[in-house]
Amino acid sequence: MDREIFLRKFITIFIYVILGRCFYLQIIRYPYYYNRSKENCIRTIKTGIPRGIIYDRNGRILAKDVPSTNLVFVPFDIKNIEKEIEILVQITNLDVSYLRRKLNKSYLNPFDRVILKRNLTTKEVSLIEENSYNLPGIFVQEGIKRYYPFGFKTSHLLGYLGEINQKQLELLKNKGYEMGDMIGQDGIEKQCDEYLKGIPGGIQVEVDALGHQRKVIGRNEGVPGNDIKLTIDITIQEIAFEELGSRKGCVVIMDPRNGEVLALVNNPAFDPENIIPYLDERKHPEKPFLNRVIKGQYPPGSIFKIITEIAALETGAVKEFDRVECTGEIEVGDRVFHCWKEEGQGWVDINLALPFSCNIFFGTIGLKVGVSQLIEYAKKFELGKPTGIDLPGEAKGYLPSPKETDPLNLSIGQGPITTTPIQLVTLISTIANGGNIWQPFIVKKIVTSKGETLKEFSPFLKKTLYIDSEVLDILRKGLKNVVEFGTGTRAKIVGLEIAGKTGTAQRAATEAGLPTHGAFACYAPYDNPKIAIVVFLDYGSSPQAAEIAGRILKRIFLPEKIEEENETDSEILEE
Amino acid sequence: MRQIVKYLRNKIIERNIIFLSYILIFIGIFLLFSASKGVIIREGFFIKQILWILLASIFVRFFRNSDFRNLEKLTYLFYVIILIFLTIVLIKGEGKTSRWIGFGWFYFQPSEFAKLVVILTLSSYLSKRDIRRFPVLFTSFLIVGIPFFLVLEQPNLGTAFIFILIFLGISYIAGITRKQLIGLFLVAIFSSPLIWNMMKDYQKERILTFINPMKDPLGRGYNLLQSKITIGSGGFFGKGFMKGTQTKLAFLPEYHTDFIFCVLAEEFGFLGVLIFILIYYYFLNKIFEIIYLTKDTFGKLVATGIFVMFASHFLINLGMTLGIFPIVGIPLPFISYGGSSLIVSVFSVIVLSSIEKYTI
Repeated sequence: MDREIFLRKFITIFIYVILGRCFYLQIIRYPYYYNRSKENCIRTIKTGIPRGIIYDRNGRILAKDVPSTNLVFVPFDIKNIEKEIEILVQITNLDVSYLRRKLNKSYLNPFDRVILKRNLTTKEVSLIEENSYNLPGIFVQEGIKRYYPFGFKTSHLLGYLGEINQKQLELLKNKGYEMGDMIGQDGIEKQCDEYLKGIPGGIQVEVDALGHQRKVIGRNEGVPGNDIKLTIDITIQEIAFEELGSRKGCVVIMDPRNGEVLALVNNPAFDPENIIPYLDERKHPEKPFLNRVIKGQYPPGSIFKIITEIAALETGAVKEFDRVECTGEIEVGDRVFHCWKEEGQGWVDINLALPFSCNIFFGTIGLKVGVSQLIEYAKKFELGKPTGIDLPGEAKGYLPSPKETDPLNLSIGQGPITTTPIQLVTLISTIANGGNIWQPFIVKKIVTSKGETLKEFSPFLKKTLYIDSEVLDILRKGLKNVVEFGTGTRAKIVGLEIAGKTGTAQRAATEAGLPTHGAFACYAPYDNPKIAIVVFLDYGSSPQAAEIAGRILKRIFLPEKIEEENETDSEILEE
Repeated sequence: MRQIVKYLRNKIIERNIIFLSYILIFIGIFLLFSASKGVIIREGFFIKQILWILLASIFVRFFRNSDFRNLEKLTYLFYVIILIFLTIVLIKGEGKTSRWIGFGWFYFQPSEFAKLVVILTLSSYLSKRDIRRFPVLFTSFLIVGIPFFLVLEQPNLGTAFIFILIFLGISYIAGITRKQLIGLFLVAIFSSPLIWNMMKDYQKERILTFINPMKDPLGRGYNLLQSKITIGSGGFFGKGFMKGTQTKLAFLPEYHTDFIFCVLAEEFGFLGVLIFILIYYYFLNKIFEIIYLTKDTFGKLVATGIFVMFASHFLINLGMTLGIFPIVGIPLPFISYGGSSLIVSVFSVIVLSSIEKYTI
């Protein structure tokens, strides 16, 4: 009979095990499983929140969100992938492999909508709606797109939006970024993304295991992004863009009194609302995304003579009327050093050498000053260091060590030294204002959507250089004469005194038979500088750059003259 | 008060195992109603289950006074019929997992009925023979082995496993020697790789998931994890009748069949679970009393088989929802939705009642 008893005991023990397990799960682990069950059925769905508006200094809108239409699909409802792809390829410009990848991918929640294409055209919308019976699970949904009223003209300044990539997600996930977020990929959009993006709202819904929504539990409206006010003057920006025209290069305009950047343009540019075509290097080999102003590193060429001159005069290596004979070339050791003017400039002193940009004169005084002194002066003017402008990806240029360069090359801005246009505009501004190095900046103010000021940026004086006033006078006079009768005469305009300096970045270009890069740095008005400009042309000449700078200044300071010109032009045409 | 309890014990519960099974069925209806979210539609499982229960109660009325010993003559016929049905299921369901046979609107699961038929057949065979003789052991082995492999091939791992337990239980009470048991154990160990190879991938996956459920919380371990969350979140008092969020929101796909215990645990908490297990234990104990008290060998072996069947269903079903056993997909008798399981359970209880009536 003990076999029956054993059988019962066996079962009883198991029942105790079951009871113990229930006790463990339901009593001891209750808080844990209770929370798990709560999380289980409540899911938060993000709702869009408008990104902040970007304004120029006068309150004109440079970027804002506008409603748009997106093409979306619900993975669960797609029935015949190949057939739907065939139709989609015909009515949108999406390519087959992209569609196949997107539609065949397995999604964590097959009921969540996935965006296939943003910013549909009205034609696409109507075509999709016409074919809707053939496209189950695919439809058009209201969305938000970023609108840039000035398009190409502000593309490098503002950047563009793109879906967050894996690398960015790793870096930013602690700051509330999630998969599929649109994030600023360059320019101000990137620099100020945290302020612009706002806090997305959400709906809490009760869902079942399949993700079907049962009911809405809570709603959070979110916080719209903050608006940003820039130092940029869109009128000047447009002028600069138009004057640069079809030439490749860049223009940066700054207020020398405080470092406010008024304009920053590049050509070629891209369409910030539709960047995809510009990513194709075969169609756009000229790097449309490169912001030369802060990322382009070129030898400063003769613009560096400003520093050579200050160094020579301050160290006493040369006096105002010391003269040097320029025969067109000079022999140093076993090397022959040429002036840009083959027949030579004759006897020149510093007042003539700067306007005519005499290489022999500056080479000679550079030799006297010595390479390490020249580098010291370049350092004083913050060359070789990023200016600290509030844009992402600024390059710092390169300031060689005394061993890497020689005084002849360095004194005329050639050799391994490189600078960025933003560094040069800071340099010319420092001359204009008499020694203050202002940090260039673009973001002036961050304002919440309710209009409260969140942050205000005031000009930042990095340092003040003491420059002997006599030296400054000589230099400024020279710079004025560059435009009056020297190498920069094409910038000359009646009614406005301009001081500037041309520069030609030779790199190894001349040896390779390629045209040189032309640059022009200037400020105006001469007596009371309000504007500093650097124009840089890829494969252009410095007189061309000077002409562009001149025309920009004319349109800024003497717009009425432009009108007159246009009138006379049209009169001539009429005749 | 005490006298009233004593009266109830004597008059109702002690006397009548059928009454106990009705209590369990009643609990089952309650839980199924909650699982159906109170939405009763004609095609829904709640209504279907009510119909099955009505059918079962008709069987009870009809057979409750018949003598189980009449079955002894018929068991081999039943055995052959059930083997035919199991083979039909295998042929029909080739390539997919099908356990059902249908005649029009009427679907049933032969593997459920096979359990009771095997119990009857084996008991009938062993009641007149000595299991300690090798040919008898071997024949018993075949009686269980043939339906075992047919069910395993369906594939229905859970039910196949129950066959083994039934065989062990009956042969144990029939007097199998320790040597024979060890021998069987060794055979089992050596044949286990063979059985592993016979298993379908999803069955292998289930066993592997059991070992590490967190490996893939949205995939293979999903059921187990959700089941534990459901039970654990019930706490001591539960979330209340019809208020379970887990089962209502369908985080468990089979909450009305294999995971019905979760509904109970979530909505009635540990207290409800305790009461439920006590009732079930009482029911099992009642069967045990029949085994202990019956003077008929056939009846004793049949009761043992039924006891093992109910006990193993109960323990394995709860064990799998609690994460103690792999999820093998066997119902909780009387409680889970499913006509075949209910009818077989009720028939088993009728047989038990008859054993009690005629041989004690």
